Amino acid sequence: MAPKSDLLQGTLDLLILRTLSNEAMHGWGISLRIQELSKDVLQVNQGSLYPALHRLEQQGLISAEWGSSENNRQAKFYQLTRDGRKQLAEETKNWERLSTAVARVLAGL
Amino acid sequence: MFRNLSVRLTSLFRRERLERELDTELRYHIDMLVQQNIAKGMAPDAARREAHRVFGTVDGIKDDVRDRWLSRFFEVAAQDIRYGLRSLRRNPGFALVVIVTMALGIGANTAIFSVVNGVLLRPLPYKDGDKLVVLHHGQGDPVVNDLFFSPKEMDDYRQARSLSGVVEFHNMFFNLLGREEPERLSTGVVSANYFDVLGVQALHGRTFVAADDAAGAPAVLVLSYKYWRRSFDADPSVVGRVFRMNDKPHTVVGVMPPVPQYPLEVDVYMPSSACPFRSAPTLIANRRGRMLTAFARVRPEVASLSKAQADIDLVAAQIQASYKDFYPATGFKAAAVPLKDDLTRGFTSTLWILLGTAGFVLLIVCASIANLLLARMVRREREISVRAALGATRARLMRQLLTESLILAVAGGVLGLAISALSLQLLVAFAERFTARAHEISIDMTVLMFTLGVSVLTGLVFGSIPAFARRVDVAPALREGTRGTQSSQRVRSALIVAQVSASFMLLIAAGLTLKSLMTVQGVNPGFKTENLLTFRADMSFDKFPLTLSGPERVAKMGGYWTEFEQRLRAIPGVIDVGGGGTFPLNELGPFATGLVREGRPLPPGTQAPRVSLRVATPDYFKTLGQPLVAGRAFTPSDSFEAPTVVIVNQTAAKQFWPNEDPIGTRLTGGPTGFRTVVGVVADVRQQLDREPAAELYVAMQQFNLLGTTWVVHSRLPADEATRAFKNVARAHDQDLPVSSFRTLAEVRSDGLAPRRVIVTLIGLFGLLALVITAAGIAGVIAFSVNQRTQEFGVRMALGAPRSGVLALVIREGLVLVTIGLAIGTGGALVLTKLLGAVIFDPTPAAGIVLLVGTQAIDTITYVGVAFVLIVVALFACFMPARRAASVDPMVALRAQ
Repeated sequence: MAPKSDLLQGTLDLLILRTLSNEAMHGWGISLRIQELSKDVLQVNQGSLYPALHRLEQQGLISAEWGSSENNRQAKFYQLTRDGRKQLAEETKNWERLSTAVARVLAGL
Repeated sequence: MFRNLSVRLTSLFRRERLERELDTELRYHIDMLVQQNIAKGMAPDAARREAHRVFGTVDGIKDDVRDRWLSRFFEVAAQDIRYGLRSLRRNPGFALVVIVTMALGIGANTAIFSVVNGVLLRPLPYKDGDKLVVLHHGQGDPVVNDLFFSPKEMDDYRQARSLSGVVEFHNMFFNLLGREEPERLSTGVVSANYFDVLGVQALHGRTFVAADDAAGAPAVLVLSYKYWRRSFDADPSVVGRVFRMNDKPHTVVGVMPPVPQYPLEVDVYMPSSACPFRSAPTLIANRRGRMLTAFARVRPEVASLSKAQADIDLVAAQIQASYKDFYPATGFKAAAVPLKDDLTRGFTSTLWILLGTAGFVLLIVCASIANLLLARMVRREREISVRAALGATRARLMRQLLTESLILAVAGGVLGLAISALSLQLLVAFAERFTARAHEISIDMTVLMFTLGVSVLTGLVFGSIPAFARRVDVAPALREGTRGTQSSQRVRSALIVAQVSASFMLLIAAGLTLKSLMTVQGVNPGFKTENLLTFRADMSFDKFPLTLSGPERVAKMGGYWTEFEQRLRAIPGVIDVGGGGTFPLNELGPFATGLVREGRPLPPGTQAPRVSLRVATPDYFKTLGQPLVAGRAFTPSDSFEAPTVVIVNQTAAKQFWPNEDPIGTRLTGGPTGFRTVVGVVADVRQQLDREPAAELYVAMQQFNLLGTTWVVHSRLPADEATRAFKNVARAHDQDLPVSSFRTLAEVRSDGLAPRRVIVTLIGLFGLLALVITAAGIAGVIAFSVNQRTQEFGVRMALGAPRSGVLALVIREGLVLVTIGLAIGTGGALVLTKLLGAVIFDPTPAAGIVLLVGTQAIDTITYVGVAFVLIVVALFACFMPARRAASVDPMVALRAQ
């Protein structure tokens, strides 16, 4: 029943899930981490980040709770659920398959 | 999983908190961006600007996030509905029972609400109908003690500044002549600008203009839509035709559109100048010539009614101060009542009582369906447990169950709407007896929204009871053989108790009103109603020229009616003939007069006590069988020339001649100044549900009466007699219309019809409640028997007799019923006490007094209703109990 995801959305979902796979993070932290890990190649647009987070939360892939941040402010921390972890494994596999396929096509030309 | 579900539920119910959290979350992000920028060396201001630029519009992001919340919600809802439909299709019998039960409850409520809506809630279908008011004035409560208005007083109230267009209305009966048969028409006599003030335009021709109302203007008529359809086959060429009416020709100038007529339905309208009574100079000059109802429109710029009220208070105070002799010295007040409220006075409390009663039925329906759902839940234990084990959270399951309930509720609501739509015509006929607004009753958008709202609410209530009552414990439920938990059994029992107590209260209401109806029906009115035929005969106003002096006219009219009476008496088969202005049990009211005894002048500043004034021919009392207690009845020699005489009833005798013989004493009034009391008649009930009041009777020959009623005792069959009366009337006077032929027994029955309808409705609701409750009890006991099959098997295997098992099951049911009855008794006592003020409202204006001659705490009714409930409950328990008792122990044990 998951909504049809275009590549971009699917990619962002995957990145978020991956970022959360080790620890719970708030939205700000997620955007920093993606930027950092991608060596500034991927700039996360906040305009898509928060809708994506809320959608993932609704789908039950991540859950959220309020906690205090590094600077002692109230922040919403997201973490992977069991379903989210499964989804991450699946999506990662899909992504690898897809990128290999794309790479093959490109190489074949 | 649980967490995300709660998000979805909160997104429905706790939107506000969600919004606040989103705001905090986004603000945090922006603040962090700002800090980062400052760390990079930007100035605080620039840092914030830059952060906002990078972040984008906060509102846009919020909108996107909100979209996620919503779409997800609908997605899950669609899923739930599909699943719910599938699950209901697997169990059509259950679905059918629930939907039908629901439909009955919703149908009852929708039907009554459509009346409430059409009659009480909807704005008047006139231009700015909420600005229309009815004026009243009188002593104390001006609405109850309304004096009505004289033409002079109409002019006075026109001075009220916040009112525009103060117009008059009064109802007369006139004969329309010049067609094949003379017709007696109910006529609305109105101001020329009456239709303009109400905002009504003619369908054909025109309404009245100021020139029509000038003294001596040619008389004109506007026909009502209904009369035009009925009597002229909707022929537009009737405009311009001339008919004879009263003492002059009347030209039809217009036809009204099909709008509701206020304050009552009439056949034709005429301007006040055309009405021979209203246009008489003596009446216009007489400040006491009060015969008019006053309507007014509050000026559009006057926002509140209290301003208009203050203005007419001022007028009332002024006229009271200027004309001291014409008004009570103290407590004289005026009131401006919204036309909307005025038209439904007397019906409002009845309607709310009926709506409350229907609401009770719905509560019982709720409890009953909740019980069925609970039982079904237990049967679905496995399915639910499996789903829970597969990861469905409690909230998710609850939501699924609620969705199923809502599907059932909406289906029941639609069916209920159909039921109420079918009963609409009956309801209009019912409401017609109470208010001129009856024809505005329809199933409109408001009613549809009401039905939808109530259906959904009902579904949520009966759906959430089982959803919350059950703990979804995976492990024990999955284990084989575990059946319904203790907690759900308790809820089921509580629901049965609630149903029984609510049904009991409803049945008590039905019982008390039914008992009142029987009391009223059984009332001995004090006269005979068998073999009496009644009808009206109305002399044309110009039968005897107005140029004659008053006394001459009275003499001629007396002679006219005496001759008519003799003709009636001459019909073979006729035994007795009694004539008068009206007769008992008839909707036509008596005249009223102040009673002042000779030599006992009133203290200054007080008004003479008002009593009924009735007119009678010499044989009137004999025909009705109303006994003469003292003195004599009227005789043919009580003619116009003879001394004026009067007969009083026992109540008047007791009230005005305590410890005194009234015979021979005199009252002031009458053409010669005094009326001598010649007789005392027994009290009779003029209305079956009202105690007799003080009455005076005057002789028909000594009173100028245009409209008469006749009561004839004959051996003829009704239709034959009617034909004979019509022939006699025609022979007597070509222009004498006779109408309203009914036997007195029919009149008696007609008068009780509104009460009968109300009692029937409440009774139907009570019956509905009883049936639903009985089905509920049977269902719950059957279910419990089902659950305990093994237990019964063991009991019987160990030697318990079948009768023992039977008694065990029935006892279980009866315990619940008894608790329900106890609670219901308390509830009924409180309810009748609370409603007492409404039900026992003694003012005639309040319409029907539902409880007459009945105590609210009526032991017989309480015991009777309790007995009926217990018998029905016993029956409901018996069938499942017998099944329990017929369990074969071996089979039951093997099933284990």
